[in-house]
Amino acid sequence: MRGPAPRRRRTAAAPIASGMRWLAIHLPALPLEVFAPAADGAPVALVEPRRGVPRIRLCNRQALAGGAAPGMGPAAARALLPHLQLVRRRPAREREALEGLANWALQFSSQVTPVPPRSLLLEASGSRRLFGGDGPLFAAVRGQLEPLGHQCTLVQAATPLGALLLAREGQDLQLTGLDGLRQALHPLPLERIPLPRQARQALHGMGLACLGELLRLPRAGLRQRLGAGPLDWLDRLLGRIPDPQPVFQPAPRFERGLDLLCESRQTQALLFAAKRLLAELGGFLQARELGAQTLHWRLGQGAAGATELRLGLLRPERRPEHFMALLRERLEGLTLEAPVRDLALRAEGLGPLPGASLDLFEGPDAQPGDRLLERLRMRLGERAVSGLQWAADHRPERASRRAPPQDPQQTPAAAPLAGPPRPLWLLPRPQRLETLRGRPCLHGPLTLGLERERIETGWWDGQEIRRDYFEARTRDGERLWIYRQVAPPRQWFLHGYFG
Amino acid sequence: MTELSTLLERRSDLWRGAQPLHRADGLATGFAALDAALAGGWPAGAVTELLSAGPGGGALELLAPALARLSAQRRWIALVQPPFAPYAPGLGATGIALERLLLVRNEQPGQALWALEQCLGSGNCSAALGWPGGLSGKALRRLQLAAAEGRCHGFLFRPVAAARESSPAALRLAVRRTAGGLEADILKRRGGWPQYQLRISQPESAEARPCAGQRPGAAEPPPRL
Repeated sequence: MRGPAPRRRRTAAAPIASGMRWLAIHLPALPLEVFAPAADGAPVALVEPRRGVPRIRLCNRQALAGGAAPGMGPAAARALLPHLQLVRRRPAREREALEGLANWALQFSSQVTPVPPRSLLLEASGSRRLFGGDGPLFAAVRGQLEPLGHQCTLVQAATPLGALLLAREGQDLQLTGLDGLRQALHPLPLERIPLPRQARQALHGMGLACLGELLRLPRAGLRQRLGAGPLDWLDRLLGRIPDPQPVFQPAPRFERGLDLLCESRQTQALLFAAKRLLAELGGFLQARELGAQTLHWRLGQGAAGATELRLGLLRPERRPEHFMALLRERLEGLTLEAPVRDLALRAEGLGPLPGASLDLFEGPDAQPGDRLLERLRMRLGERAVSGLQWAADHRPERASRRAPPQDPQQTPAAAPLAGPPRPLWLLPRPQRLETLRGRPCLHGPLTLGLERERIETGWWDGQEIRRDYFEARTRDGERLWIYRQVAPPRQWFLHGYFG
Repeated sequence: MTELSTLLERRSDLWRGAQPLHRADGLATGFAALDAALAGGWPAGAVTELLSAGPGGGALELLAPALARLSAQRRWIALVQPPFAPYAPGLGATGIALERLLLVRNEQPGQALWALEQCLGSGNCSAALGWPGGLSGKALRRLQLAAAEGRCHGFLFRPVAAARESSPAALRLAVRRTAGGLEADILKRRGGWPQYQLRISQPESAEARPCAGQRPGAAEPPPRL
């Protein structure tokens, strides 16, 4: 390829490829990662039959540290690590996980392509500008993937195939232009290229070992030896011809599941697993400029059925940390009958985020009190939190009522004019007072205040009251609000306390 | 000796018992005598214990002027698990903006302390009021930390018997009513010794309140008992 002819061809193709930057995210351990990571760090290995014999294919960090290694027989690994947990591949879960990650990746780029079995491809020219270069973009991607328990290799290159191919090599690369890509591709062994077996054998027979040597051959000869298909593949790899990628269309709704590696009923373990689903939901929502108002969690418990949780929010929300805090509140107050085996999350009530335009002026949290309200409601129930309101009714028990909590940012209305003294506490039901020689008593006779207030009202709706109210003091000095019925039998009642 | 005292005075982190310790961040109580005794008012970002005989024992009345002042802030005043229904006309008459009140009620035991801690620590409440029955020192310390974090005034209403227990609260006050008005024992305060039988006059707002006798409907003399 050092000859003049290919060089001309490359310049012709360059405008197509040079504007695009492709970021390949390769997830080497995805088959193992589809199982929710165990919070306690138990050793786990994935077993897959190779030529009919089961072999260990992937190990997590704890298993590697304990001496297990890919290629080992399961029995040998078990001998080294008696607690090693062996799992089988779940291809359906892998597809689902890759799709989930494609959802998550939509926050970085509008053009995402899942490349089964274990890679994602992002058109990254816009995101590089947004993040201020490859370094910060890589750090952002990695910084989100690793806490979710995903290993990854990131390669940024000028062509999709180049980025994908190099990402599988397991080393992060940021390549500039087609020249950089070509140099990085040169040392790749020929086995990495998808060639028909005959063609590969022919190339081996010629003594070729790496991609660089292959590319040095004259093009006409290559076409003869390999056929049009592989040559076309090479052209796309090197950016000589355009290589459009199918764009991932996210599903209109979010519904995802996850198997737990170890059954658990501990809140921490469940949260650890839930975190991944919430991160995917976050990416899904961010890409669509939406928030979710209701999260349905299903905690699958095998034969014991499932526990369903519904987490409702005051308004649509997107941030995974927020969902996480709410889920924690709910789980901490929950007693699980049986250990949980799998988790599923469904998001509903998708809608635009409220107050998004306010963020610019009011900081990231336009309604800061909402979080407190949600936390209280999540744990204590919807009806546990309320505000208090005046009501225009002369009947004391109707003059005060519970109301929805008011937004503390609002300016309070002017207080109504002061009237006769009113207690700070009202009993839910007036309490009948004993009398001793005509005087009302509560832990001894009460001392009555001088003023009497007659309340005689409510005749129109059948809840008529006719009472004479007094202030009274107990011997301990407590100030009470008591009344006597005007009509016989003129009994005394305790109705409130003056704080 | 003179040299020693000048040396000591240079230190800003040293408080000497003879000096009055005045807090700039205190919340005026609305009672001159109490403000003086508390060196500035109710301590901010801390938990205060108010011990009184019962719901009518005067503790909430003592607090009302300060709460009215706090309700000017754009934050809630949380009442966590109050013993009875707070009465809007009574609270409103003290000057508290009812819009600021947040009532938290829950029937499950043990959740009240959690809710109180959430309110104290959230930063969305200017004050959080709680009526815990028994309270361990550990729980009180947690509340104290939460109050500091949320820059919130914590007020715990407790029975007089709780005076026997030791407490990490910043301020403990026993309140009672006497014929002449409210009276308080300061059982514990920061930067001062206990002080007993502190007479607190009625707040101005209460004196200025029109009483029932001035209204035409209540001109009748009280009944003979």
